Amino acid sequence: MKNVFVRTLITLATTLMLVSSVEAHHSFSMFERVVQKVVTGTVARWAFNNPHSWLYINVKNPDGTETLWSFEGAAPPQLVGRGVTGNTFKPGETLTVMYCPLIDGRAGGALGWIKKTDNTYVTPSDGGCRSDPDTIKRWEGWIEQGFRSNEEAPPVAGV
Amino acid sequence: MQTTNLIIKKALCVVALATIPALLHAQGFGAGYGPPLQVIPPSQEFASSDAHYAWLLEQANGGTQHTVESIPRWYGLWTTAGNTHMDIFIDGGMTGTVREGVLTPAYEAAYKERWRQQQEEGQVRYDRLTHCEPTGLPRWLLEPYSHEFVNMPQESYLINDFANSIRRVYIGQQHQNLYGTHSWYGDTIGFWDGNKLITHTKYLLPADFTRWSPMTSNQFEQVETWELKQYGNGIERLEVQATFYDPNAFIKPVNAVYAFRHAVELETAGHRPQHWECELSSNSYMDENGKTNFHLPGEEGYKDARGSTLFPELPGQSRDPIYNTTLSTDTSK
Repeated sequence: MKNVFVRTLITLATTLMLVSSVEAHHSFSMFERVVQKVVTGTVARWAFNNPHSWLYINVKNPDGTETLWSFEGAAPPQLVGRGVTGNTFKPGETLTVMYCPLIDGRAGGALGWIKKTDNTYVTPSDGGCRSDPDTIKRWEGWIEQGFRSNEEAPPVAGV
Repeated sequence: MQTTNLIIKKALCVVALATIPALLHAQGFGAGYGPPLQVIPPSQEFASSDAHYAWLLEQANGGTQHTVESIPRWYGLWTTAGNTHMDIFIDGGMTGTVREGVLTPAYEAAYKERWRQQQEEGQVRYDRLTHCEPTGLPRWLLEPYSHEFVNMPQESYLINDFANSIRRVYIGQQHQNLYGTHSWYGDTIGFWDGNKLITHTKYLLPADFTRWSPMTSNQFEQVETWELKQYGNGIERLEVQATFYDPNAFIKPVNAVYAFRHAVELETAGHRPQHWECELSSNSYMDENGKTNFHLPGEEGYKDARGSTLFPELPGQSRDPIYNTTLSTDTSK
């Protein structure tokens, strides 16, 4: 119970940090923000465009085919202050992406965090998904345990 | 067991998400920079924004005539640093409810539905900016994209990087409406009272404060007092005391304060605002359920912001000249 309380406090603090970025030009009602998933693919395009950035990656399917996945991030002026630029991701680069999926199940979602092959993290998220240090730390443990979705993992406050 | 876990997780998340409007209520965008914002309402009530502005001009003895040398300089990039506008409309903090008697019955009913969506669903379903409407006023005051402010003796330029939104303040002049209609930023006149810039804006199109705040009508007008304030520890904050008039939306005029701080993180990173538009770069739209959704690559309606122009057969027509990428259209899982 104490853990849940602490996690809730962390969530509140994180939410405070998010407040400055939640006023996007659209609602986030299209995202399943209570669900977080992880996928790995290669960059087709990093579109550092206003009013929102978009990351497109090609993901290998079990049958060998590829699917183009689309992920929305924050606006460039918000990302520049976090050290993210239009050159942060290069075409062909392999990335692991944590995202909150589109409710309708299509191949896309809201960007959370992104892990590069040099094990560094980039956090281009907007209000549609989370990328705070606590979320990243939690996911490191989950990935070690083989989880690809928070729905597979034990419940944590705010996730 | 897994179902139980999922229910617990979703419940906890709903609690967390529900705190966002409450925090906005208490803090405002970018709040926490400098001392708490204090609304300074006008010392008397006025029947109209015109009367309010005329009174301020009279109090300032016609205003201060600045020169290029003396005019206040608000150089650099700025970003939002909080506001109090939600205090006008919401009572009760985390489980807040729409304050009754502030909005007219029609606008109050409309706002209650908007607030219900925000509270119960965690998001208002659709935002008018989705289909590329400009922010308009009063929303311009809190958009988190960067701001710039350029003061000249005869005119001030108040710029928001949200789709290149520029307000022009004509110093010492009277209102004009040569177009014979209203517009997103209307017509703004102003004067200087020492280091304070007082402005009056009218002839505005219907807009809103934010997507989770009330709507405004085509009779919305505002009087603003802009002042750069210094606090301890090197804190410098540009504060805007605003009085909003709208006989269609408000029972009586309402007041709020908005603030901006230097966008040090953007300036340090070397950020330079660029012209951008929404029509060619946004793929969000209102779906058949009234909710926001996206067109993805390969789908009907998808607009490729980095694709080619109308003349792809010519060399150099890509809008992605550095990486020259193309997207596949297979988005089926």
